Amino acid sequence: MKLRVAGTTYAGAVVDLRARDVDGRIIAASIRGQRCFPALSCPEPPAVYAYAGYVHPSMGLRTRTALAAAARSRGHETPQDDAIAECRAQLADLECSPPDLPDSVDPVPESTIDGLQEAVATHRGRLTARQAVGADDGAVQADLRDAATELSERETRRAAARETRELRRERARAYRDTLEEQRRLADELANLRRSARATLVDRCADAFARAIEAVPGPVPDSPFDADPVTAALAVLRVARTPAPVVLGTDRFRSPTAASDCLDAPVVRC
Amino acid sequence: MLLVVTYSRAARTDLRNVCRAHEDCVVRQFGRAALFSGTEFGAFQALRLHEKHDLDIQIEHVEPFEPTDVPKHVREAAKRYEAREEPATPYERFASGRDLPDPDQLRGVDL
Repeated sequence: MKLRVAGTTYAGAVVDLRARDVDGRIIAASIRGQRCFPALSCPEPPAVYAYAGYVHPSMGLRTRTALAAAARSRGHETPQDDAIAECRAQLADLECSPPDLPDSVDPVPESTIDGLQEAVATHRGRLTARQAVGADDGAVQADLRDAATELSERETRRAAARETRELRRERARAYRDTLEEQRRLADELANLRRSARATLVDRCADAFARAIEAVPGPVPDSPFDADPVTAALAVLRVARTPAPVVLGTDRFRSPTAASDCLDAPVVRC
Repeated sequence: MLLVVTYSRAARTDLRNVCRAHEDCVVRQFGRAALFSGTEFGAFQALRLHEKHDLDIQIEHVEPFEPTDVPKHVREAAKRYEAREEPATPYERFASGRDLPDPDQLRGVDL
């Protein structure tokens, strides 16, 4: 690795920064490519570094998840891998953006339509009556025309409102169907990943138990009861570690001893 | 009544909060759905959720239901099928040869 901290360049498999006031978290973030500074060149760290890339006394660790990642770094595969990939692809393919709905339209009350139909009938009756006695029917004809026009307008609006309502419901339903599908796939993916993790942990359990005994720190009755620092060191010993691990712990005699034990490049902060 | 169904985690959390804060308008609460009373206040609470979560909240009108609301032949079919002696018989086979509607016929008719 090559590391540049405040004007000094460090190179080699072991870098001791204890004399410098450097936050290990920042170095670890740089190693994972989440920061550009301090400038650092090293091989790509596998996913296990997200869990155990920075070992320090106040850390927490999801030991099984970290161990599964360590197994992955060793190239272990599981019978669930194909199904996981398939599930991921299906989830990625789901088009799940909310649809554009036409604005909702206030419905035209049936009573309005009924009233207008009645008015048209009344005007028509009056017109027939006036025509029968030969009276002047100009005003009645105008009333009838107005009422009929308004009725037809309202009916058109009612039809449009119904159509809009149907369209809104259809699109909303299609969208919610997709959300349901997404939920189902996400559940399935979570289950598959749990099984895969169990498989990986199972396969590495012996190596992990041996590693717990090999790294410095208290040895618990069950390897999975180890404190986070011991567990993280054991996970790193099991994992393939091409990139530097950041250590903020006094467990080792020296950074070089740490590097030997973990078989990893080390930055001691 | 109003059926309020949620389709996202955030919507589900808010539904739960509304149910806790306004028990008076909640008839029943299920996991990610709830039945609100058919009052303007129930609608107000449902619409608040809809305003906030848009399509992640679905609101439906729910009507009370009694068995007598459906035609007699449907009730009869359900009753006789549930009283069948062979539990493994599918309804379709059970109905054929008896004086009962076949499932496709039932599917094709709106209530």
